[in-house]
Order: sequence, then C-alpha cells, then structure tokens
Amino acid sequence: MTENTTADSPPAATSVPAARPSQPVVVVPESRLPLGARPARNAVIAAGLIGYAWVLGGTAPFSMKALVGVLLPGAALGVIAYARPPERIPPPESVDVAGFSYWIIAIALLFEWEAAAVRDGSTSWHPSLTDLINPLLGPHPVKSAAIVIWLLAGWSLVRR
Amino acid sequence: MSMRGITIVGFVAVIAALVLLEILGRNPRTRIPTLGEWLGYVMRPAAGRVLILLGWLWLGWHYFAR
Repeated sequence: MTENTTADSPPAATSVPAARPSQPVVVVPESRLPLGARPARNAVIAAGLIGYAWVLGGTAPFSMKALVGVLLPGAALGVIAYARPPERIPPPESVDVAGFSYWIIAIALLFEWEAAAVRDGSTSWHPSLTDLINPLLGPHPVKSAAIVIWLLAGWSLVRR
Repeated sequence: MSMRGITIVGFVAVIAALVLLEILGRNPRTRIPTLGEWLGYVMRPAAGRVLILLGWLWLGWHYFAR
C-alpha cells in the first residue's frame, strides 16, 4: 500500500510551521539550557577551571597561596549557594533506610580503617589513606586533574 | 602478605564497596540510593547542606593545601 499523494494533500517535510498565536511561547531561560547548548561558554569555563587547577596544583604545600587557592573556590561556592543558588536537582523526599545503611556501613569502615592508621602514627606498615594518596598526587598534571574533579564535585554539591 | 599490603587491600576493598554501592544504586530494582540521592536528602536541611559543603572544603584543604 502506498500513501495518497494527490495534489490535495499538504506538502511534506518542506513546510515551515506557521505561527500559532493561541499557543503560548515558551522561553527557556539561558540558565536552563542543556549543557551542550552553549559550547563557547562551556569551553571558556572549562579552560578557566583547568587553568585554575593547574595554578593551584603548582603551589607549594602549606603555603599561603595553596591555602587561598583552596579557600577561594569554597568562598565562591558559598556565596553562590547562599546569594544566587543555581537551579537545584530536586532531592528525594526520602531514602530507603536499609539501602542507606549500606552506605553508612561502608563509610564507617573507611573512617575506622583510616582512624586505625592515624592512631598507629601512619607508619609504613599501616599507612593512612592520605599517606597513600599524597604520592599519587605528586605529579603536577595528576594533582591538577584531582583539583578539577574536586571543583566539579563542589559545583555538583551546590546544585543538590 | 605484609601488613602494609593488608592495609592497602583494606582501603581498596572499602573504596570498591563504595563504587559497587553506586553501581547498585543506579539499578532501579534495588532500594540502595545513589550517592547523589542520599547526599541530596542529607542536604535538604540547611545544616546538612553546610556540613556537606564544609566536608568538601576540608577535603580540598587536606589534599591540595597541605
């Protein structure tokens, strides 16, 4: 069977939808556009994030620059969260207690394992998680990548 | 296995368990919430929100400023 393609039928696919005054025009605010809708802006933000992480990753530990470099995004996110919060992802009304308890148990185990290592003085035979991770963060690119992840995690927390 | 090895295996096992919970949480047939879901729930009250954000800030200070 074929479609009826007589002269009476409307032209297909080439027609431009006519304006329908009865239908309200929905204007999507710029802040609610999908992530990929503004590639230029996203590229600028990504470059800024990576640049900031690179600079922070190059600061010496225990230096004032490193401290300010960490506190600055914290303060910025605090101001954003308080004064101009972004559109938040709606939190669930409740979480399953049994399901949530698995998370609590695993996190408590992590803290217990870490506390045991710290209590023992984080020796080479019982190192703390920090002492295991710090050498991994030694190379500048790795530390910078970790900072980018940390910054993105902070932003996602503000949206929660 | 040395004590150091046991310690590392312990950390890896717990972190693997956390990753597994996240994977299981994304399955709609389980009752386990995802990390984002329970964090969102904990952050519903302002106090929870402040505490979680302070925890995030502490993490950054601990690993990137020290």
